[in-house]
Amino acid sequence: MTPTTPAFAAGASSTALAPGGRRRRVLMIISRYGTLIGLLGMIVAFSIKAPTTFLTVPNFLNILNQGSLTAIIAAGLTMTLVVGEFDLSIGYVASFAGLLVVGFIARDGLPVLIGIPLVLLIGAAIGTVNGVLVTKVRINAVIATLGVGTILVGAGFAYSSFPIASGVPAEFIAISLGKPILGIPNPIFIMLIVLAILWVILNKTDLGQKMQAVGGNIEAARLSGIRVDRVKIFAFATAGVCAAITGTLLSSLLGSGTLAAADGYLLDAFAAVFLGSATLRDGEFHILGTLIGVLIIAVGFNGLSIFGAPTFFQPIFKGAILVLAVGLSTLARRYSKA
Amino acid sequence: MQSNSDAWLQVREFSKHFGGARALSEVDIDIHRGEVHGLVGANGAGKSTLIRSLAGVITPDSGTLTIDGVETRIARPSDAEAAGLGFIHQELNLVPHFDSVQNILLGAPKVKRFGMVDWKASRKVAYEAAERIGVQFPLDRRVDELSVAERWLVMISKALARDAAMIAMDEPTASLSDAESQQLFTVVRDLAADGVAILYVSHRLDEVLDLSDRITVFRDGRVTETALRGDLDKRGLIRAIVGREVAAATRPEARVVDRVDPIFEAKAVSRGRMVKDVSFQLYKGEVLGLGGLVGAGRTEVARLAFGADKLEGGSFELQGELLPPNSIPVAVGKGIGLVPEERRSEGLMLEKSVAYNMNIAVLKSLRSVPGLPFLSSARSRSRAQDLITQLSIKTPGPGARIGGLSGGNQQKALLARWLTPDIKVLFLDEPSRGVDIGARQEIHSAIRKLADDGIGAIVISSDVEELAVLCDRIVVLCEGVVSGELVGDDITEQRIIELSYSHIDNQGDTE
Repeated sequence: MTPTTPAFAAGASSTALAPGGRRRRVLMIISRYGTLIGLLGMIVAFSIKAPTTFLTVPNFLNILNQGSLTAIIAAGLTMTLVVGEFDLSIGYVASFAGLLVVGFIARDGLPVLIGIPLVLLIGAAIGTVNGVLVTKVRINAVIATLGVGTILVGAGFAYSSFPIASGVPAEFIAISLGKPILGIPNPIFIMLIVLAILWVILNKTDLGQKMQAVGGNIEAARLSGIRVDRVKIFAFATAGVCAAITGTLLSSLLGSGTLAAADGYLLDAFAAVFLGSATLRDGEFHILGTLIGVLIIAVGFNGLSIFGAPTFFQPIFKGAILVLAVGLSTLARRYSKA
Repeated sequence: MQSNSDAWLQVREFSKHFGGARALSEVDIDIHRGEVHGLVGANGAGKSTLIRSLAGVITPDSGTLTIDGVETRIARPSDAEAAGLGFIHQELNLVPHFDSVQNILLGAPKVKRFGMVDWKASRKVAYEAAERIGVQFPLDRRVDELSVAERWLVMISKALARDAAMIAMDEPTASLSDAESQQLFTVVRDLAADGVAILYVSHRLDEVLDLSDRITVFRDGRVTETALRGDLDKRGLIRAIVGREVAAATRPEARVVDRVDPIFEAKAVSRGRMVKDVSFQLYKGEVLGLGGLVGAGRTEVARLAFGADKLEGGSFELQGELLPPNSIPVAVGKGIGLVPEERRSEGLMLEKSVAYNMNIAVLKSLRSVPGLPFLSSARSRSRAQDLITQLSIKTPGPGARIGGLSGGNQQKALLARWLTPDIKVLFLDEPSRGVDIGARQEIHSAIRKLADDGIGAIVISSDVEELAVLCDRIVVLCEGVVSGELVGDDITEQRIIELSYSHIDNQGDTE
């Protein structure tokens, strides 16, 4: 439909500027472009400081490659946030999916082309359970998804207590390690495809418009004849699939199914999505923003390791980014309502 | 103004504007100790603005308040409390899981050293207050276990525990049974005899006439009549509420409606206390009004028909066929639309564009290829553009944020949401609330145009003039029951109001 372009939105909001609007306008620009400026600033600064290590093609590919896994899971999370819900289970879903896929392929001997779709389906099913708990049983999303996620932690333990055959087939590992075109790793392509699909759903289909309506004003959406529950369940299912993709890719990268391997993606994903919501659009969650959020985190981490920051600095950076991201997002929303 | 009255509380020349709208205009009012003072008037006449000013919720633009000969300024609720003014709103602001003592002392508990609550002293204060009005139930029960009438008594005790010399009550009997109401009236009379002034706000005129020593009538933000007990009867009171000439509003020329087969019909629909056995027909090309006071069940009927609330009895028929209840998507799919009462909270996605808000209910028809879920942005844009032109909506363009439009233009956009080839019945709840005169007329002509095109329109309005000028036929509800129907020349503001207040008269017949 008619996506509000940033330029237009700026024009629309500026009509409401009263005296004292100058400060407000500055804040609005900071919140709208601040994340982009921050990303560029980091890249420039790191490039000047470490032209030989940071500013290289392999390093950039490395950043993108590592960011791909976060971007996919974060894009799924974006869908649930667009409909005004939360999903705290995604990290655990990814870890669980990573165990399952290795179990299916290496232990049970399922072909890769069957094992992976099966795991994605399971991801969708878990997301659907989340969605049903939130919409039909009406459990608060934070509690429901935290509960489901914790159950999956236990399920992962139970599942991995079976011996997993060591022989992970090369073709499974090749999924993440392959570099088909111009030496660009596979996960980057997979990420671009997933993000493109989600972007099209959100912006070009009626389902996506309905999702935005549900997140924008749920009562108005309901009174427009939108089946609000179904729309939300779809969003949760999508988040589940995306988490399963990330988990699968991680197992492929590690060459094994490892307990709790992907749990940490939860925080990264949240930070990325909230950073993204403060980008270009005033506090709205959107796929492109999420990608930018992921890049900020990935570049930041890359910088930390290049400059040899002590390990304890990583969680500090992560936590600070999360708080900053949510703060910026809130700010953006506040100043868009001029 | 010279205050030559000996009244305990004297309001002089209170005025209050909200934006361009005048809510109170040079209002004078005297309240004496120990009197029951009835406040009546149509919705929006100024009663609640006056009460909110006295309660310190809003501040009047101008005017003075004198209590006991001392000029008093009430800038915030605590000032009102200090001045001995107590307020009981219809919603009863009680903490459900606290007991009565806790609620009575809420915000003003007796405190010992180190900020510890002195429960013994607190209970004493609470029990003393409750005893004054003869409370029979134990005060240590959670208030959510009490009946509504008992909760009122808790609220009154709460005011008394704060040494209130005046208590304002807003629609106290709205959710009370007859017996409970009688019980409350006794308490009100006893309090007055005890020297407490009671400001009694109610739509139930018989009750007001029965209880009040003095009645003040509001209309359009002004006091239009102050009467002592016995000066006015119900008829006179209604005349004072409706106002001056009660002229037949300028109705447009009668439209020809062929009332043979109803396009839409409510058959004895019910839901709880709000909607009781409501039946009416709507014909093709007709503008039907649903009149009545706020809370009479009009909005509830519309929401039931639209599937937004659960139907508990009866049925709706669309073109002679049963309409499956309780599903908005089904209702929408069959060509029923609703423009809700609360534009911002129930209608608009404020952050989204005008086009988005117009198209959200009809996305399927805007796909580029039928059967595929992809939207055609060209179609979306052109539908929006057409409707903007058709309804002359003032907007920078279809892509502009709808939150930036005026109320009238937002309302038109919401109306536009339902303008599809498939629409058959459209409910419009308070379609011109908060919009300016010009937009109001445009909305009215848009509604009439819809009817000309063969749609059945149902308009809900608290504004009797709007109903009178707009509707071909009016069904009036009162306390969830249809209290009458007006067609053609019978439609006058006076008649609509009489039917709106008719519950007491009809009580014997309907129950």
